[in-house]
Amino acid sequence: QDIPVTGKVTDEKDGMPLPGVTVKLDGTSRAASTDANGVFSIQAPVGGTLTLSLIGMAAKKVTVPAGGRINVALSASTQDLTDVVIIGYGVQKKSVVTGAISSVRAADLENQPTTTRLEQALQGRTSGLTIAAQSGQPGSAATVRLRGFTSFGGKNDPLWVIDGVVVDNGGIGYLNQADIESIEVLKDAASAAIYGARAASGVILVTTKKGKLGRVSLSYNGYYGIANAAKKLNLLNATEYATLRNEAYTNDFVSGTFTLPYPNPESLGEGTDWQSYVFNDNAARQNHELSISGGNEKSTFYLSAGYFKIDGIVAKEVSKFNRANIRINSQHKLYNWLTIGENLGYSHAITNAVGNTNSEFGGPLSSAINLDPITPAIITDPAVAGAAPYSTQPVFRDQFGNPYGISTRVAQEITNPLGDIRRRIGNYSWDHNIVGNAFLEAEPIKGLRFRSTLGSKLAFYGSDGFNPIYYLNSSTSNTRTQFARNINYIITYNLENTLTYTRSLGNHNLSLLLGQGSYSDGFSRSVSTTFYDVPAQDFYSASMRFKPVAANRTSDGSEGTDHKVFSLFSRLTYDYKEKYLFSALIRRDGSSRFGANNKYGYFPSAQIGWVPTKEDFFPQNNIVNFLKIRGSYGVTGNDGIGDFAYVPLVGSGRNYTFGNENIVNIGYSPAASANPDLKWEETRQTNIGIDATLFNNLTLVLDWYKKKTVGILQNPPVPGYIGSGSPAANIADMSNSGFEFELGYRQKFGEFNFGISGNGSFLKNTIDKLSPGVNFIDDSQATFQTLGNITRTQIGHSYNEFYGYVNEGIFQSQAEINAYKGPNGTILQPLAKPGDVKFANLNNDEVIDVNDRDFIGNGLPKFTYGITLNLSYRNWDLVAFGSGVAGNMIFQGLRRLDIPNANYQTSRLNRWTPTNPSTTQPRLTDADPNKNLTKFSSLYLEKGDYFRMRTFQIGYTLPKTIVSKVGLQKFRVYVLSENLFTVTKYTGYDPELGSNNSGNAFSIDRGLYPQARSFVFGINANF
Amino acid sequence: CKKYLEISPQERILLDNYYKTPAEAKAALVAIYDRFGFQTGGLYDKVAIMCAASDDQIAGGGGPSDINDLQVVNNFTLNATTGPQGYLWNKGYAGIFRANVFLSKIGDINMDATTKASYIAEAKTLRAIFYFDLVRFFKNIPLLTSAVDPKEIYNVVQAPPAEVYALIEKDLTEAIPGLPNTVVARTDGGRITKGAAQAMLGKVYLWQGKNAQAAEQLAIVNGATPGQPNAVYGYRLLPNFGDLFKVANKFNSESILEIVHANSSNGGWGDAGASEGNLLNIIVGPRGYKPGPGAPDYYSGYSFLLFTKEFFDFIHFDPRNKATVANLDSLEKNGIATYEKGYQNTGYFLEKTIGRVADKAPTGQTELNFPQNSYEIRLADTYLLEAEALLNNNAAVGAGSRAYQLLNAVRARVGLNPVAVTLDNIIRERRLELAGEGHRFLDLVRWGKAATVLAYKGFKSGKNEIFPIPQAELANTKLEQNKEYGGTK
Repeated sequence: QDIPVTGKVTDEKDGMPLPGVTVKLDGTSRAASTDANGVFSIQAPVGGTLTLSLIGMAAKKVTVPAGGRINVALSASTQDLTDVVIIGYGVQKKSVVTGAISSVRAADLENQPTTTRLEQALQGRTSGLTIAAQSGQPGSAATVRLRGFTSFGGKNDPLWVIDGVVVDNGGIGYLNQADIESIEVLKDAASAAIYGARAASGVILVTTKKGKLGRVSLSYNGYYGIANAAKKLNLLNATEYATLRNEAYTNDFVSGTFTLPYPNPESLGEGTDWQSYVFNDNAARQNHELSISGGNEKSTFYLSAGYFKIDGIVAKEVSKFNRANIRINSQHKLYNWLTIGENLGYSHAITNAVGNTNSEFGGPLSSAINLDPITPAIITDPAVAGAAPYSTQPVFRDQFGNPYGISTRVAQEITNPLGDIRRRIGNYSWDHNIVGNAFLEAEPIKGLRFRSTLGSKLAFYGSDGFNPIYYLNSSTSNTRTQFARNINYIITYNLENTLTYTRSLGNHNLSLLLGQGSYSDGFSRSVSTTFYDVPAQDFYSASMRFKPVAANRTSDGSEGTDHKVFSLFSRLTYDYKEKYLFSALIRRDGSSRFGANNKYGYFPSAQIGWVPTKEDFFPQNNIVNFLKIRGSYGVTGNDGIGDFAYVPLVGSGRNYTFGNENIVNIGYSPAASANPDLKWEETRQTNIGIDATLFNNLTLVLDWYKKKTVGILQNPPVPGYIGSGSPAANIADMSNSGFEFELGYRQKFGEFNFGISGNGSFLKNTIDKLSPGVNFIDDSQATFQTLGNITRTQIGHSYNEFYGYVNEGIFQSQAEINAYKGPNGTILQPLAKPGDVKFANLNNDEVIDVNDRDFIGNGLPKFTYGITLNLSYRNWDLVAFGSGVAGNMIFQGLRRLDIPNANYQTSRLNRWTPTNPSTTQPRLTDADPNKNLTKFSSLYLEKGDYFRMRTFQIGYTLPKTIVSKVGLQKFRVYVLSENLFTVTKYTGYDPELGSNNSGNAFSIDRGLYPQARSFVFGINANF
Repeated sequence: CKKYLEISPQERILLDNYYKTPAEAKAALVAIYDRFGFQTGGLYDKVAIMCAASDDQIAGGGGPSDINDLQVVNNFTLNATTGPQGYLWNKGYAGIFRANVFLSKIGDINMDATTKASYIAEAKTLRAIFYFDLVRFFKNIPLLTSAVDPKEIYNVVQAPPAEVYALIEKDLTEAIPGLPNTVVARTDGGRITKGAAQAMLGKVYLWQGKNAQAAEQLAIVNGATPGQPNAVYGYRLLPNFGDLFKVANKFNSESILEIVHANSSNGGWGDAGASEGNLLNIIVGPRGYKPGPGAPDYYSGYSFLLFTKEFFDFIHFDPRNKATVANLDSLEKNGIATYEKGYQNTGYFLEKTIGRVADKAPTGQTELNFPQNSYEIRLADTYLLEAEALLNNNAAVGAGSRAYQLLNAVRARVGLNPVAVTLDNIIRERRLELAGEGHRFLDLVRWGKAATVLAYKGFKSGKNEIFPIPQAELANTKLEQNKEYGGTK
């Protein structure tokens, strides 16, 4: 006999009412939920059992007492082991997961609200990931490598899957971090194999927030703050510069009389501090997010809007980013067995970019580093301003009409940054992204679920740029205005259907997945056009309405190549009493990129696990509370191998002119001969790990893996008599192996909560095989000025290791030079003078030449780690999160080799002189007969180890008794510093160097736009 | 799902879908010509290499390793890994590959029979030209008449030079009937004509010492009366020697076969070799040229391929001097212009091919887009070749003989008195007439005079007559290096 039951549900922690708690009568489908005051009412029999559940809280069962009055306090669910983990096409209880999967939860991301892109938010959060920003330019992407490298020229970025939609090629800039519910990193091949031929570089699953049952809640999160450069380089002032230039001149002087270029260095004083014109003080940043969520048994929704705006710390006039987002996630139960829903995100971003953010060829930073400090930033001397080039050339001027100084000493791409900024002002790029899916989920029979998902990404992007008439120096000038516009779009889509059957028979738990998917990406179109001689002085007065004659308009267009994948997959998961765990899966992928003889690839994997702590024989103890041992093996593929390499194609561009009217005929001939056997690059990975809970409060995850990629695509050299190019083939092999750990500890001492967690990853990358007859390969982008290639990929070594001469110190005397001989007595460095670099004679012959080069360092960190500390006391909370790397070298290439007059860093004040016998800094010389600096040697390399305090945050939550009076559920204020400090010995701006501008090589610094240090004040409010 | 993964025809042009229409046949033919005119992104071509190898010119440039491939030719220090031989080899074999594919495909194309025959003849002539260069440069080379089966790539072997010459003769002989006597210069100038193939065939015969056949072929080209227009082809010497090198005079009556260049391809530094512009025009220009009033409008260049002082003295009082040598030394001494002195500067530049400001391209990188053509073979050349063939063949050479008329028609054009037909006089005339056009080195080798004349540059007899086979061709293949370069062939 049912009676009306009423009750109130509160939070055990603070006694505040909990809205949205589901109250379900066991054995029936009857359910209710609590209102804003935590109150519910339901019909139930006395003695019946009610289950109360709420996400984030431990579910509780209560028996209906006579009288029907119940007050229940729920406690927060202890994390980790009771969590579920998203595993791709399904979820799994963390306690039975047998793969190597790391998770990041919303709470972690919410504590780090200032990162502009999701990759950065992942940095240091989980083991297995090596992440480094490519630039401090707001909005720029980071390099992400999961368990090392898996390909050479092909795809090395992990596969990103957002709510089930494959968003390939790192196109995740549209995501608003506040919308993220969880991120799972599928590190081992056995877990990733469910994504088959695109999973070799690992898979990252992102799940956005969903509406929760219960009352509609509104929350606002926002912050405002400022950012500054954490570090400036120590460069010479004008007096020091002149002194060193004089010395270089003197050292190079051969004979006769001479006059110093700067007879009186002291008179030049401090000169111009170019960095002060490049770095902005107190660049503003702000972020505002508003979200509404709620729902009932039939429908739930999550709706959010965000706005993010940030000024760069370098040349803020041309370095900005702002983005607006909207997200609508909702689901509706049409029938008890049928649910439909959608997850949809839209973003619009506008970026003003400084251009070269890690380039020795221009850009404001490179210019600030290399410009001589004597040239004034602004010419105020009328005599100078009235003479050439200022009087004769279209130079930029300040608001008073004074021209910006043009260096007579340092030229080429190195220009006055004030002018460089002016020519770029207003130029911007934009994008609109719509990424989402619609799904239908049916459960016609209990345990049997059918799900169909249609996902798509539409991206529209482009840029507007105006190039005014200007003169920055003799080699950087523009004589015709140009207004260029570029517009692109990309459409990708996924269609996936899965059928899952889950059944528990006694102690046997079984789940079977069958799925089918078809995917298309790479479909893109673009057009661009440039108008010349547009009558405008700057971007803001330029318009395409000023249409020049046809001869002054150029246009271009291009089309992307559609990449299609058709897949079938299946997974079986079984466990006995959650004690013996087993899972196996297979995926078959057909790809438009595979050759005729290998159209379909099969990607199997298996995982096993054992939980000894669940065995009867395992003694109950307080040391080992939980222990799981797991192992897995899987095969994944990389189909990022280029399009149509397997099919014989005809290529254009074989042109020739006939007749006397300059008419070029387009010629076609067969390109490289085809390789019908071409297939995916295959990665096989073994993973062994344990998950444990020790001493009740300590969680521990350990993983060891060995990953081998075979058949990496190469174009082996073919003899020229073939007459056409080399066909791509699956040839090279590469291995990665490593050890990873994640630790967490949490303890409560009265009102004081303490939590600390950390993770670390060791990585070793080795090349196993290259094309026959090929000893090494060079990355065409990992070059530096006249040094040529500075990295090499060779069997037995790591991918793209630094390769150069070994510096054995500095010759202190002519006697030392004369004594440095080959085995037959030849003086090895006859051109050297005291103060020059001594290069090691590695092959012990009679000459120092290219054969004396060796591997002298690795840009890829050996060890990456992260540490998080959480403290709270009453209403106060503190989060400190830091991460770092160790064991890598950085190439410090900040000075232009080909510009002798370029400024120096202050380390050069310690150069070798007869009276200052330095052992690290060679003497000054422009002629450099010994090639101290024009040979790549270990002189250029510095240790790249660093630890960076990424987030340091202190928050205060106002007492609920106060905020509830104004209708608030929660009101918290915080101050946060991002990148508060960085511990490193590296002398450049920033030791965090991804692979930007350097192919696939990490840690090459050409004048990197550094990460900002910011301080923000923020608010979290829930209504 | 198979269909789902198929490639849409608009994505790429599949080999299987190509070679179906007359337009595709033409484009495939153009691709062969592309290699005929191929220049390397390293800013040189065959003519530049031949000039650097000659006794008349030096490599020059900005320094001792500027365009190093030309420097090592200049001083004959080239070896299998260093030098321009990779360019020469790949240029030829890529052209041969394209010709082979073209010839294997064109049979099935439904098109006008005359046009088809002419296309086939053009392709064969070009293939012959590629092989003629390759066999002269490398002697022992693979002889391929069809695209190599991918499985056989590493099994290709070298053929005896005689077999290569046999194919060259066969290709040219077969081509001649299908070729037109003339083409419309405006639209088709630069295409192979009957005369071009015959001129090449004559040259090929002469190179093999087949003097009678050489004279016979060249006579068809040179016409019944030397100095008078060829009645069939219209060939005749230009009245004014200097006009040969003016851009406005492309496809003139003296031209038999030219490599065509254009100023309209927008060639850029990303791949300078892909430009249709003439790269020789920029590399031979004086460095840092600053003209004063009345100075020639040379486009400032990179100061390569300077004439030697000896050559300047040799040509100084010849009427062709001014049209051959740009005397910057004199211009500077007379205060008309200044220039920067490059490596081994002599002051004597290659007037015939210096780029002119007046000819610079309207768009793109102007320095890479000069439109001057270069001569593969021209009438003065065939006159002298025929005279040489007749002399070698013991034909009459006295005054009034055909050989005498041929040699002296070339001289008369520049106002010089007749001389007797002797080998020395022919050698002298060729040197003066064809200076800087890339003939001298191969001529010296043919006459057996290279060892003596080029000794001063480091030429080694029995070695530098040919180029080493590029080292890359020997790796994993059955090819053997020429014994001149330490090999076994």
